[in-house]
Amino acid sequence: MSRKLTACLFVAALPLAAGAAPESYTIDPYHTVPYWETDHLGFATMRGRFEKPTGKFTIDTAAKTGTLEIVIETKTLSTGDPERDGRPRTRDEHLRSADFFNVAEFPTMTYKATSLKFKGDAPEVIEGDLTLLGVTKPVPLRILRWKCGPDPRTQGKRYQCGGNATGVFKRSDFGMKFGVGPIGDEVTLWMSFYGFRQ
Amino acid sequence: MWKKLAAAAIAAALPLASHAAPEAYTVDPYHSFPYFEADHYGFTWIRGRFDRMVGRFTIDPAAKTGTVDLSIQTATITTGDNDRGDRPRSRDEHLRTPDFFNVAEFPSMTFRGNATKWNGDAPAVIDGQLTLLGVSKPLALTVIHWKCGPDPRTQGKRQMCGGNFTSSFRRSDFGMTFLLPGVGDEVKLWIGMEAFRN
Repeated sequence: MSRKLTACLFVAALPLAAGAAPESYTIDPYHTVPYWETDHLGFATMRGRFEKPTGKFTIDTAAKTGTLEIVIETKTLSTGDPERDGRPRTRDEHLRSADFFNVAEFPTMTYKATSLKFKGDAPEVIEGDLTLLGVTKPVPLRILRWKCGPDPRTQGKRYQCGGNATGVFKRSDFGMKFGVGPIGDEVTLWMSFYGFRQ
Repeated sequence: MWKKLAAAAIAAALPLASHAAPEAYTVDPYHSFPYFEADHYGFTWIRGRFDRMVGRFTIDPAAKTGTVDLSIQTATITTGDNDRGDRPRSRDEHLRTPDFFNVAEFPSMTFRGNATKWNGDAPAVIDGQLTLLGVSKPLALTVIHWKCGPDPRTQGKRQMCGGNFTSSFRRSDFGMTFLLPGVGDEVKLWIGMEAFRN
């Protein structure tokens, strides 16, 4: 009886132990798309995005800890203005210049989490640092949506977590001062993200 | 004296008269972009954009009337996944097929409407018809930001209006049923738009 009970307890404890270990995920570059928006002359909000970021995260829902690192290639920025149409340059070309993202000198921007705040089993706030133009500043990200489960596109063979996150920073804090005033200083980030469990 | 008074009265009335007439604007395609979001398998909201929207509107704040006519080139859909890599097609290519926007058969989607609700001098709601895949259904745009004034980029020589708009619709109402319900039926629409007075 005692042996049976011990075995039973052991079996019951296993899933907990497995759940408690930190799990590693690789960012899905096709569904992880960081968008930003900022005011334009007070008339309208202009949006843009970066394409195909790479990165990884770990999450331990039992210990309520995790890590996250995302690398964004700055040259992938896109605001829907790729054709010159007789102008000397497109907006996207201007945004890649030293006036803004200076992609020649700073080909990547990165986000690295320092800690996670949880609400139940789901991360709610990511405290972390954004490195942009070589300047590193804290930018918290708020998780708007979070879900983990089998990927329905693989008949459940692959396990994934996905969601949306948002955050706000002042671009002048990173030294990006061109046009501040007419073009907003405050930048709102919004991203969809997925990670596949390794 | 009477003549002077009459002249003064006419002069005073002129700006009002010119203000009361409907003014016509042409959409600036470099600063006017429709963005959309749809649920992706219950995990995340995925966002996309159309890179080319043209159009025009008229506005008469005194009479509280306005008309808008927008045309979006469906082939300009982009979601941050335009390179095939080693896959048979990119997501953007797939979105252009008959599974979704069928851009070969329906190269444009349009919105035509009238400003039906006002908030002072600013339009608050634009009621109209969205035509997508050849199907026309009512759609109301909510104006979440609106401003008219001189364009600071031209030292005020050019008059412009701009704003942000939101709405939502069910893509199945327009016959776009591929991947329902995995990819959500509800499509959230967000438009940032600027226009120059003719």
